[in-house]
Amino acid sequence: MGSKHKIIGKPERRVDAWGKVTGRAKFAEDYSVAHQLWGKVLRSKHPHAKILRIDTTKAETLPGVEAIVTARDIPGSKVFGIVVKNQQILCEDRVRYLGDGIALVAARSREICEEAVALIEIDYEPLPVISDPEEALKPGALPIHGDKNEFVHHKVCKGDVEKGFAEADFIIECTFKTQFVEHSYIEPEAVLAEPAEQGGVVITGSVQNLFSSRRSVAEALNLPLSRVQIIQATLGGSFGGKDEVMTSMCCRAAILATKTGKPVKMVNSREESMLESYKRHPYVLYYKWGAKHDGSITAMEVRCIADGGAYASMSPFVTWRSVVQATGPYCCENVKTDIYAAYTNNNYTGAMRGFGSPQVNFAIESMMDELAAKVGMNPLEIRMKNGFENGAVTATGQKLTHTVSLKEVLTKAAQEIGFEAKWQKYRSLKSGEKKRGVGLACSYRGVSLGAEGTDAAETIVSVQTDGSVIVSSGVTDMGQGAQTQMSQIAAEVLGITMDRIQFLNTNTSRVADSGPTVASRGTIMGGTAAKNAAEKVKTTLLEVGAAMIGCDVGSLDLAENYLINVKTNERLASFSELCAECFRKGKPMMGFGWHHSPPTSWDEEHGQGDAYFTFVYGANATEVEVDTETGKVNVIDFVSVHDVGKAINRGMVIGQMCGGVAMGLGYGLLEEFEIEEGVPKQLNFDEYLIATAMDVPRIRTIIVENEDPAGPFGAKSVGEPTNELAAPAIVNAIFNATGRRLYEIPANLERVLLGHKLTRTGKRGSEVKANHG
Amino acid sequence: MYIRVVSVFIRGKYSMRLFEFYSPRTFDEATALLSQYGADAKIIAGGTDLLIELRKPGAKTPKAIIDISKISELTGIREEGDLVVLNALTTHSDILRSQTLQKHASLLCSAASTIGSPQIRNRGTVGGNIMNAATCADMVPPLIALDAQVTLKSRGGTRTSSLSEFFVKPYVTSARPDEILIDIRFPKPPAAASSSFVKLGRRNAVSISRLSVAAILHVEKNALVKEARIVPGSAFPTWQRVMEAESILVGKKPSRELFAEAGKKVAEVMISITGRRWSTEYKEPVIAVLVRRALEACWDN
Amino acid sequence: MRESVGIIATINKKKYEIEVAPNTTLLDVLRDQLGLTGTKRGCEIGECGACTVLIDGQAVNSCLVLAAQIDGHEIVTIEGLADGNTLHPLQESFLDHDAVHCGFCTPGMLMSAKALVDGDIDPSEEEIRIAISGNLCRCSGYQQIVDAVKEIPKK
Repeated sequence: MGSKHKIIGKPERRVDAWGKVTGRAKFAEDYSVAHQLWGKVLRSKHPHAKILRIDTTKAETLPGVEAIVTARDIPGSKVFGIVVKNQQILCEDRVRYLGDGIALVAARSREICEEAVALIEIDYEPLPVISDPEEALKPGALPIHGDKNEFVHHKVCKGDVEKGFAEADFIIECTFKTQFVEHSYIEPEAVLAEPAEQGGVVITGSVQNLFSSRRSVAEALNLPLSRVQIIQATLGGSFGGKDEVMTSMCCRAAILATKTGKPVKMVNSREESMLESYKRHPYVLYYKWGAKHDGSITAMEVRCIADGGAYASMSPFVTWRSVVQATGPYCCENVKTDIYAAYTNNNYTGAMRGFGSPQVNFAIESMMDELAAKVGMNPLEIRMKNGFENGAVTATGQKLTHTVSLKEVLTKAAQEIGFEAKWQKYRSLKSGEKKRGVGLACSYRGVSLGAEGTDAAETIVSVQTDGSVIVSSGVTDMGQGAQTQMSQIAAEVLGITMDRIQFLNTNTSRVADSGPTVASRGTIMGGTAAKNAAEKVKTTLLEVGAAMIGCDVGSLDLAENYLINVKTNERLASFSELCAECFRKGKPMMGFGWHHSPPTSWDEEHGQGDAYFTFVYGANATEVEVDTETGKVNVIDFVSVHDVGKAINRGMVIGQMCGGVAMGLGYGLLEEFEIEEGVPKQLNFDEYLIATAMDVPRIRTIIVENEDPAGPFGAKSVGEPTNELAAPAIVNAIFNATGRRLYEIPANLERVLLGHKLTRTGKRGSEVKANHG
Repeated sequence: MYIRVVSVFIRGKYSMRLFEFYSPRTFDEATALLSQYGADAKIIAGGTDLLIELRKPGAKTPKAIIDISKISELTGIREEGDLVVLNALTTHSDILRSQTLQKHASLLCSAASTIGSPQIRNRGTVGGNIMNAATCADMVPPLIALDAQVTLKSRGGTRTSSLSEFFVKPYVTSARPDEILIDIRFPKPPAAASSSFVKLGRRNAVSISRLSVAAILHVEKNALVKEARIVPGSAFPTWQRVMEAESILVGKKPSRELFAEAGKKVAEVMISITGRRWSTEYKEPVIAVLVRRALEACWDN
Repeated sequence: MRESVGIIATINKKKYEIEVAPNTTLLDVLRDQLGLTGTKRGCEIGECGACTVLIDGQAVNSCLVLAAQIDGHEIVTIEGLADGNTLHPLQESFLDHDAVHCGFCTPGMLMSAKALVDGDIDPSEEEIRIAISGNLCRCSGYQQIVDAVKEIPKK
């Protein structure tokens, strides 16, 4: 299969890597211009309070201060939001979480900014702080927005769960809890906003979703979209995290730049970043399954409450993916799922790699092992018994028409780690200081946005007169390698080598709105658009070639930087000569590629529909060593298997797989952003612990390629599926080792040893306070 | 090529306030500065703790920072007869690579290897670890187990203090503001003794000590314990040998059960000192385990 | 109070005489005074390693070094790793092993790796992992970075 492509599937260096190994790559904070001012936010002192008075007079008189801005100074919309417009750029009368901004300062140095912010006087009237989403949903709870705190309720209804439970031989009921997770991109947020020559602003920043940020800036400043240009600086990681927090920063910097008429730079410290930025949703998950002694599942009832925090953000979409995938890739005729999101005074929660799947997968895959234990099967057998096959019908009533490779990936993962033999051996070992265990987890995942919304993207391929090529796209690169994938696709189509291609960072004024680069849609959307664009250019080039050589188009092709005769492989002209000829003949040398995803459907009332146009399948298997005397868990072996359709660039696919596992390992074992009464406890990497090189074992990666007609060259997705399985696999492995199941993550020292979390109380040396269950 | 840069750059929050900076080359210069500024001065060596402190919002900024890293007498590890001397600027990296320490006090090398990251170990010094006096300071339990003494120098002269009596409470030592810690010295343990350091962190690297134990065990030819020293870390407000547990071992034949008994005693002593707090449910069983393991590790050597 | 301290240091083989504010870090001076923005600011408390540079051949967090302390020392930053347009073998290896994802940790990672391979041309996987344990990477899971350091093109 590999032989039919020259560039696709071959090891190619990343197009953006040279700048990154030499230090030349410019990330947002690396941009500075002459006479720039510094911008700074005054943030709230209370997680929930009325603002009674804002007095900026003292701050205004400080030498070096050039502007102070409050909500009143925002000329246009004071709020933004992709689904629900309720997030405040600056708060006017009420703050809803500690990260809320109230005023902005622009000054000649960071130090002056700091002093000025300290001189702004705010009078607050504290309001009750709601930190628990279940409390927020109770009748009588103080509404944080509007008249109630419930702002999402998605459902899926299939068959009749009551009937299914009645048919069951037994019922399993478990409650699971997951934590807030910080994206932990290593680059903190930064922007530089400059007043544009003809009015409006030009913003260069660490922005993931440029088009939605642009819309909000335009609305805040009452500008047409054409006057707001956002240029993506090389992005130092995002993982879903540089969306609304960057929209807010872009709006603020743009307001200051407009007001002062000068460039304004804003940079978050790590502490500011962790304080203000949104997190992955904590879920409380109530799972109830009815099953038969043969291991088949007769009913699945799921209820989840997501902590949405102070603003709606992406919660409606995140929880929608959860509701679609909440019962996993398992056959069941009777399903009832309800997912709610509630406002609280915690950090708001939104998109993070996985997007609603890591939480439900933790529950589903734990339940599957519980079921296995109940019926005396091993975890592989139970999944093979219930897992989807070709033509399966999902909980939302969607018939799967692509290659359903769930059992293929599962089997490969299990075999690679030697699952069944180890599982049998480890469960029967009696005691010991260090105990080993193996765990398995698998999933299916809808590709791209699905029925969430419009799903289309543009890529532009522009051939230069010397045969070099410039590619640009509305799909952005944040380290995952979208630029390289699109470049490889363009090079494959044009029959050229990668050194000819230069990829430009995304600029909202130069490419069409391509939606957000989320949902692992970079390759399938941007890549297909790149293919379409390159094919248009290729058609023109071959026509020019045919006229130049004097033969028909059908006998020509492009390969290895030459125009060739298809039959003889004879090189007729170099790609460069062909491009020069194309220019001389006055033919278009630019191809605009557009891709609109295949149709999806959703009936919100009944929770049924063809939610996604295709799905991917993945399985993780892991071996852990549990120190039964201290609760320390070491992951000593890991196998990650994913069906990606087609690996455009194997090295980058492996990179996504290893990176996804490491992040998932952190989710399962280490990471917990704790918020107590609206106050976050961890604001830097000394306390918020992500995995180091010593915590991640060597990961064995297996790429499965069942090409899918929905994607370019058969490619689908890899970014998010790699991140949604490690935590349940690890927790299942701990169960295999210790015989004790953990219903909450992360499986840190205390949870593993004691079975519950320990919470530090406010006062040192005070009495024990344990959070049971 | 020679480039001259004169524009001075100033920063804001989560950065430091202005102070005077001095970089003395000799003890005399340094002690003179200290006697001039007293409590208004702070000494910097590696800076890995101090700069984090100074960057915190609302941190108390000293009037002067005195960089002692250019005083050449303050570096190096040497043997003086029956003593081993660590000069205060010895970095954690120096310690973990030292043949002398590997031979006479390998627990110091183990402890140094668990501190921070390579970057931190390359800058952070043993003197700084002691003077910062954080309860999780990893070099301190081994040094107390070694019965180390610290040497302090001021304009008035030099004095020594036993390390176990040097700490007043977390982050506070009994050093006077005009004193510089110049070295740490300890008697070489008997050649037949062996030592260990075990540390439990949440992560496998760059991890603050959740709990740790330094142990030295001397078993005589007759297979009975002659001497044992046990010093837990992150367990007490300040460090101390747990004599009640050590005495359980002396005169007995080493065994897992005996070590476990000593561990239980350490847990008891810990609770008698700190009372029961939010973390006791975890620390009580785990400190006992770590003590047992530290002793087992000595015994295995 | 003196607002600046004069220092002389060698940075990427060039000798600099710099007036630095006493309360600035080496990281601040590199990025904001000298325009060497390849050294990254990630956490400013020595946890992430994005600001790693070499002082006298040793990897250090430049956020935890006072600029005034580098007087008389030799600093190498990411900008000093390549020899003109000729990349250092480590840089080539990072390109070949897909060890670069978002690239924000990459400069610090390369400097830690350089400190390691300068002292030991054939480190074990364990030694490599220890050497980069102070450099957080959120993208890669470290594996391709470890491989890149292990399999440097030998010249």
